[in-house]
Amino acid sequence: DDFLRVNPIGTLDENVLRNVAGAEKLLIGVYSNLDGTSQNVTSWNSASSNWIYGSIAGGEANKGSDAGDNALVAQVQTFSMDAANDIFNGKWRIVYDGIARTNTLINLLNTIEGEDEATILRIRSQAVTLRGHYHFEAKRLWGNVPYLNEDTEGYYVPNDQDIWPLIEADLRFGYENLPESMGEVGRVNKWVAGAMLAKALIYQQKFQEAKPIVEAIINNGVNPMGVKYALIDNFSDNFDIEHNNSAESVFAWQYSANDGSGGWNAGYGEILNFPYGGPGSCCGFFQPSQEFVNSFRVDSNGLPMLDGSYNSPENAVKSDDGLASTDPFDLDNGPLDPRLDWTVGRRGIPFFDWGLHPGRDWIRDQNYGGPYTPKKQLYKKSQEGLFTEVGQWTTGLTANNYNYIRFAEVILWAAEIEIELGNLDLARDYINMIRERAKNSEYVTYEDGSAAANYQVDVYPPGHIAFSSQIEARKALYFERKLELGLEGHRFFDLVRWGVANEYLNDFINYESQIRTQAYQGAAFNPGTNNVYPIPLFQIDISRGTLQQNPGY
Amino acid sequence: QKTVTGTITDEQGEGIPGVTVLIKNTSIGSASDIDGRYSISIPDGSNVLVFSFIGYNSQERAVDNQSVIDVVLLEDITNLTEMVVTGYAVQEKRDITGSVSQIKSEQLMEMPVATVENQLQGRLSGVNVTSSGQPGAPSTVRIRGFSSFQANEPLYVVDGVQTTDISSLNPNDVESISVLKDAGAASIYGSRASNGVILVTTKKGRKGELQISYNAFYGVQNPGQGFNNLLDTQGMADLQWLVFENGTSNTENHPLYGTWNRGGSGPRIPDYILPAGAMEGDPGTDPSLYNFDPDNYSNINQIVRANQVGTNWFREVTRNAPIQNHDISLAGGGEKSRFLVGLNYFNQDGIVIESFNRRYSARLNSEFEISNRVRIGQNLQVSYRENRGLVAGNQAEGNAIAQGFRMQPIVPVRDIMGNFAGTRAPSTGNGSNPVARQGRSRFNQDLNTRILGNIYVEADLTDNLSFRSSAGGTYTNGYFYNFTNRTYENGQNVEANSFTEGAMFMSDWTFTNTLTYSKTFDKHRITAVAGYESLKFDIGRTVSGNRGDYFSEDPDFRTLDNGAQIINASSNALTPTTGISYFLRSDYAYNDKYLLSFTVRRDGSSRFRDQFGTFPSVTGAWRLSEEGFLLNSGFLSDLKVRGGYGVMGNQQSLSPINQFFLFGGSPNTSFYDISGSNTSSVQGFRPFRIGNPDARWERAVNANVGIDASFFEDRLILVLDWYRRENLDLLYNPPLPGLAGGADVPFLNVGRMLNTGIDAELTYRNNFRNGLRFETNITLTTFRNEILNLADGVNEFFAGDSRIGNISINRVGNPMSAFFGYQVEGIFQSQEEVNSAPTQAFAAPGRFRFADVNGDGVIGPDDRVVLGSPIPDFTAGINLSLGYQNWDFSTFLFASVGNDIYNFTKWYTDFWPSFQGAKSIDLLQNSWTPENPGATTPMAENVSNFSTNAQSSSYYVEDGSFLRVRQMQVGYTFPGHALERLKLSRLRLYVQGTNLFTITGYSGLDPELIGGDTAFGIDYGNYPNVRQFLVGLNVGF
Repeated sequence: DDFLRVNPIGTLDENVLRNVAGAEKLLIGVYSNLDGTSQNVTSWNSASSNWIYGSIAGGEANKGSDAGDNALVAQVQTFSMDAANDIFNGKWRIVYDGIARTNTLINLLNTIEGEDEATILRIRSQAVTLRGHYHFEAKRLWGNVPYLNEDTEGYYVPNDQDIWPLIEADLRFGYENLPESMGEVGRVNKWVAGAMLAKALIYQQKFQEAKPIVEAIINNGVNPMGVKYALIDNFSDNFDIEHNNSAESVFAWQYSANDGSGGWNAGYGEILNFPYGGPGSCCGFFQPSQEFVNSFRVDSNGLPMLDGSYNSPENAVKSDDGLASTDPFDLDNGPLDPRLDWTVGRRGIPFFDWGLHPGRDWIRDQNYGGPYTPKKQLYKKSQEGLFTEVGQWTTGLTANNYNYIRFAEVILWAAEIEIELGNLDLARDYINMIRERAKNSEYVTYEDGSAAANYQVDVYPPGHIAFSSQIEARKALYFERKLELGLEGHRFFDLVRWGVANEYLNDFINYESQIRTQAYQGAAFNPGTNNVYPIPLFQIDISRGTLQQNPGY
Repeated sequence: QKTVTGTITDEQGEGIPGVTVLIKNTSIGSASDIDGRYSISIPDGSNVLVFSFIGYNSQERAVDNQSVIDVVLLEDITNLTEMVVTGYAVQEKRDITGSVSQIKSEQLMEMPVATVENQLQGRLSGVNVTSSGQPGAPSTVRIRGFSSFQANEPLYVVDGVQTTDISSLNPNDVESISVLKDAGAASIYGSRASNGVILVTTKKGRKGELQISYNAFYGVQNPGQGFNNLLDTQGMADLQWLVFENGTSNTENHPLYGTWNRGGSGPRIPDYILPAGAMEGDPGTDPSLYNFDPDNYSNINQIVRANQVGTNWFREVTRNAPIQNHDISLAGGGEKSRFLVGLNYFNQDGIVIESFNRRYSARLNSEFEISNRVRIGQNLQVSYRENRGLVAGNQAEGNAIAQGFRMQPIVPVRDIMGNFAGTRAPSTGNGSNPVARQGRSRFNQDLNTRILGNIYVEADLTDNLSFRSSAGGTYTNGYFYNFTNRTYENGQNVEANSFTEGAMFMSDWTFTNTLTYSKTFDKHRITAVAGYESLKFDIGRTVSGNRGDYFSEDPDFRTLDNGAQIINASSNALTPTTGISYFLRSDYAYNDKYLLSFTVRRDGSSRFRDQFGTFPSVTGAWRLSEEGFLLNSGFLSDLKVRGGYGVMGNQQSLSPINQFFLFGGSPNTSFYDISGSNTSSVQGFRPFRIGNPDARWERAVNANVGIDASFFEDRLILVLDWYRRENLDLLYNPPLPGLAGGADVPFLNVGRMLNTGIDAELTYRNNFRNGLRFETNITLTTFRNEILNLADGVNEFFAGDSRIGNISINRVGNPMSAFFGYQVEGIFQSQEEVNSAPTQAFAAPGRFRFADVNGDGVIGPDDRVVLGSPIPDFTAGINLSLGYQNWDFSTFLFASVGNDIYNFTKWYTDFWPSFQGAKSIDLLQNSWTPENPGATTPMAENVSNFSTNAQSSSYYVEDGSFLRVRQMQVGYTFPGHALERLKLSRLRLYVQGTNLFTITGYSGLDPELIGGDTAFGIDYGNYPNVRQFLVGLNVGF
C-alpha cells in the first residue's frame, strides 16, 4: 500500500554514498572528530587538546574557575577519579565514534567498484591512519582498550590484548601508502602518518625503530601542501591564529569560526579556558600552576634549574596572589625564560593587544584557582569577531588550531632518541635548536618596545653538565619539553611513559598544595592505579562482560 | 369546596407561568398565569395539590386549612438522560460500560486561565495536569499514570479531528470534554489510544432566537514574596567571613569587604562595588570618571553603588501583572440552519517583566439541513497568539526566576548613571542581571497562527442507519525572531550580538467515515458503528537563520541580512506519518439491565515495517438497581457495575525514521575545516542512525472494574473505578557500547511497565426548599507506577541533568522518574567519627556523612539509592458551589499528597562554592560548626568535593505535598425585573481569587513543577503559579 510507505526526509541512505564522492564526505566526517567534540556525542570535557587529561593531570595547571564549577574535572587534578565520572564516558565515546566512523567508511569503500585504485587507496590510507590515531589516544588514556577494524563484528570486543602492534600497523600503512602532497593542509599525508608512527614507537620505548622515521621527517618531511617542516622564527607565532598551519605545524586540529557550526568546529573543547571577564570572558578554567610558572626561572646563563631549585622560595616566581587588581604590585624581576609569557598570562605583562594583564580582574576565584591564566589558545583583540564565533554566549570559540604535533616536538623526539641511544652531544644539538629559536624569537614587550620582564634564555654550551650523563640529559629533555610544549596537553602522558609520574607528580602536589590548599586538598598520585584513567563504569556495565576495569579503579 | 390561590416562583423569586396545578388522583387542574399566579377550586374530600412543570421537580402540598399556598419550584437537577460524547458515538451516560469522565463548559469556565488543559486540573478523576505560571506555556496532561518512556501525551480529538495540541482553543468555545480512560472506552482509537483520549466538542447554535452573550474578566496577578530564605547584604558579608573562618588561611583580602584576619574584625560593607570595595570619597567614585561608550563596551568605566541593604532580585524582576479576557458569541438558528460565531481576546501579562501571552481567536460552527435526511456542517477555529516568555526558558538556571537566587543582594539593578549593574563587580558571582536580560527581550516576537476545523455530512439512510463523513485537520504556522544584545554589566559578557529569525509550519488531516445502526426491539437495544479512517500527521518543516555582529542594536535594524557574520542557516523537515484504520463498535443492551460493548480497531501506520495491528476491547455492565431485590430500595436510584478488558496501542512513541539505517551530516557534528581556512568548514557525513525494521507499537493491556451508583434521586452520585494496565513492548533504546559509535541507537520493543490505580468521583447536590442550592464534587486520583523491565542487561537509565550529574533514575522495580543519589545520614561531627566511619572521599567534620548502603565499608557509586518519588500517593480536587437566591459562591481546592520534590535550587543557595550567588539564611545561621552540631546544613566552606556539594544526595529532597485553593468566587445574578429595564436576558457579576493560598511544607516558590516524564518534580528555577484577583461579568442580550 503506497500510502503507508513514507521515506525519511532530510537524510541519506548508504546506496547514495557508495561512490568516491560519498566516501570523501564520510572521510571528512572521520576528520571532524579529531578535536574530541561533536554535538551528537560529547562536549568540552573530551577535548583532545587534552587540557584535562594531559596538562591538568600533568600538574601544568589546575582546573581553575571556582571550587564548585565542574567538580568532575577536579577529580583529575587530585587523582581521585572514579569510574562513574561522566567525563571519561564522553572521552571514550568520541574516540570510539571516530573509530566507528572510520570502519563504516572502509566497509563502504570495499564495496565501491570500478574506481581508480589509487583514488581508493588515497582515501583508505587516510582512514586507516586516523583509525590508528584514535586507537593511540585510547591506548594512552586507558591502557587496556579494545581494537576494532572493518572486519570486527559487533560492538562487544574485549580489552584483553595489547593493541600497540595493531596501532603501529595502521600508522605504518599510512606512512607507506600516503602521498606527500594532499592538496589540503588539514589532511594526513605520509609525514603526518610517519610522525604519528614515531610517536607510537617512542611511547613504547622503541627508540631504535623510531630513529630513522624521525630523521626522515626532519630531513625530508613536508606538510600536505608541500611546505618543508621547519622551526619557525617566532615561538609565539605557533599560537597565533594568523600563523596557523605554518611550517612548524606537523598535525593540528583545524578550527574554524563562524562556519555555521555554532562553535562546534571552533575549538569547542577549549570553551571554558579563557580568563573570566577578560578576553573570551569565560570561564576561568585551566589556570597554570605556580610550580609550572616557577619552571621558567632560569639561572644567570639563561638555563633552567634542572636541580629543582626553581621552587625554592628565593627562585619561585613572584605573583599577585592575594592582591586585588587595584592593589600595588611589583613584577618579578628575576631572569625568566621568555616562553613563559607566551604560555601563561600573569599580572602586569602585556596580553597581546588587550593591554596589561590586570591580575584578579580576569580571575574568577583567585583564592581557589590562583593568579594565572592560560595564553597559548587565546586570541588577539584584533581577531575578535573575525576568528572568534559571534552570537554565542562566549567568544571563547576560536579558529586557533590546536597543534597536536609541532615540528619542535619532532626535534625533541630526536633528542630523546639520541639520549636513549647514548648520543648525548647529538641530543644537546637538537635541544639547542629549540632553545636557540626561543632566544631569537620576539619577546613580550611593552608598547615602548622594552621587554616586559627580565628574559634570559640560551643554549646549553658544549660540555655542560646537563649532558654529562644519560640521567642528567633526560632531566634536561624532560624540562625542555615542559618549557616548550607546556599547556599543550602532553605532560601527563610524558611523565607516565618516562616512568617518573609517581615522583614528579607527588612532588608537584606537595609543592602546589601548600599554595592552592583547597584545590589540591587530599590529592595524591597512586602509581599502582593512576598511570591510566578508569574505563568508564557505564561502558563496562553495558559491555556484556567484555570490558575489564583497570587495576585499582 | 374552597378556592386556593398562590404564586409559583422559581428560586430567584420569579413567577413561573404555565405550571400545571393538579388535584391529586383527579384530572381536575389549573395552570399559572404569566406572573406565576394560580387559582383552583378544590372539591371536598381532596386535600393534596400537585405542582408540576417541565424542568422542575414536582411538588405535592397538603391544603388543610390554607387558602393561599405559595410554592417555590426547584429546578430538576438530575441527569438521567445526560449525554456523553464517546469514541465515534454519543451515548446516554447510564449506558456507558467503559471508564469515561465528562466535564461541561460551565464547570470549566470557573477557572479563568488561558487553555483548556489548564482548566482540567483536579476536575476529572484519573487526569493529572501540571502547569507552570508562565503565560502561554503548555501544561502536562497525563491520564492514569504513564504508558511509555517516550510519549505520554493523550490523544486529543476536537470535533472528530485527531490532534496533539489543544492549547490554541478558546475555553469558552468548548461545550464538553470527555476523557476516555480505559481500553473499553479508548481502544476504538487503536494505536494512538494508550495514553487516554480527550474528546473536545465545541458549542453549536440552537434553533431559536439569536442569542448574544458577552463574557469578560479583568484581574491582577500578584507575584508574592519570592524567595524568603536568602541573605541580605550584611548577611552575605558575614557569611564570607564565616567561610574564611572555616578555611585554612589566616588572612584574606576580599575585593568588597576588606581584609579578613583570623580573630579580627567583621566585614565592612562598601559604599561602592565598582570601583570594587570603594568607600565614599574614594577618588575612583568621582562621577566625572564615569564612562559609558555604547559602541565600545570594553572601554567603559562603570561606577556602581553597593546596595547596602540588599536587592531583592525576585521583586525587581516581577510585577503585579494584569490578565483579561473578552468573549462575544452569537448563536441561533432557524428550521434548516444553525450557527455559532465566537470571538475571543485573551491577554495575560506574566509576573516576570516582559513575559506575556495574547490570543485572538474566532470560531464559526454551522449546520444546514439539506433535506429531512441529510445535514452538512462545519466547525472552524482560527487563532493567533503572541508569546514572550523567560529568556533562557523555564526550569533553567539562566532564567529570571533563577537569577533571583543567583544574583547577590549587594548588586543594585542600575549603576549611578542608570545603566545596568551586574556581576562585573568582582566577587559577585556569575549571575546575570535579570532586569537587563528580560528587558532586552522587549522586541522579540513569537507568533503562532492555527487553523483547526472540519466539514461533515450526515445522512439518515434509513430510520435505523445513518452515515457520517468528516474531513478535518489543523494547520499551524509559527514565526519568531529574537535578538541577543551585547552586554557590559556581567562577569561574563556577550561580546557579539546576534539575531535569529525563523518560521515553521505543521499540519495534519483526518478523514473519517462511519455508518451507525441502532435498533430497539422488545427488550433488546443494539447500536453499532463501523468506520474507516485515514489520516496523515506530522507534516511540517522549520527554518531558521542566525547572524551576528550587528552594527547597530536599534530594533528597526533587525533583519537577517544586516548581520555581518552568518552563524547558522538551517531547516528541518519532519517525516510525516500516514495511517489507515478500520473499526467497529457494537453496543447491546438487554432490558436496560445487561449491557455489553465490543470494539475493535485495525490500524495501519507508516511508522512500522510490519504495518497493521489490531486493538480489541470488550466491556459489560449489569444494572443491579433494576433487579428485583433492589428495585424498590428507596435511597438507591441507580446502581451499575461494569468491567472491561482490552488492548490499546501507542505509535507516538516511535520516530518514523526508527526503521531505517541512515547517514547525514551537519556542521556541528561532521563538518571539518580540511583546507585550514579558519572561517569555513567542508561538508562531511557520518552514520546518523542505526535502524530497527522490527519495531512495533507499544501495547497497553488494560482491565477496568467500575461502579456507577446514585442515591436519593440522583442527589448523590458515586463513580468508582479500579484499573490495572500493563504496558508491553515499550520502546526503549538500550544504549549500545561506545564502540558502536555515535549514531542514534534504535528503539526496541523491550520494556514493560505496570500502572494500577483507583479513580473516584463523588457528587452531591441538592436544592433546598428555602432556596439554597448546594453542589459538591470530589475527585480522587491515585495510581501506582512500576517499571517491570527495560532491556536485557539494562536495569535502569538516568535523566534529569544537573550541575551534579543526573538526578533522576528510571529503574526496574521502581516508578518512573525517581530521585537518585546518596542518602545523607547526617553531618560528621568529629575527626574520630570520620575515622571510624566507612571510607568516604574527602570526609571531614562538618561535611555530609553518606550511608554505606551495601555495607562494604567504602562509600561509592553502588551506595546510591532511590531517594524519593515525585509521583503523589493521590491527588484530589474538591469543588464546592452554593447558591442562594441571586447569589452564588464556588470554590475549588486541589491537593497533591505524598509527592517528593528535588529542590535543586538549594545547590546554589546552601553551598558556598556552588557559584557565588545569593546564599541562604540557613547557610549563615544554621550551618554546621563545632558549636552548632545539630545543624542540618553542612559547614560553610569554599570546598567542593564528594562530601560537600558535588554529589546528588537526599539533602535536596523535600516533601512536596500541597493543598491549594485554586479558585474561589462570589457572583450575583441580577433578577428578571432589573434585567427588563436593562433590556438584557442575563447579567451576572463576580469576583474571584485564584491560588488564594497554598498549604505546603515545600521551601521553594511553588510545589507544582513542570518537567519531562523521565525526570520531573525537580525545581531548577520554575515560573511559579501565583495568586490572582479578578472581577468578571456575564451578559446575555
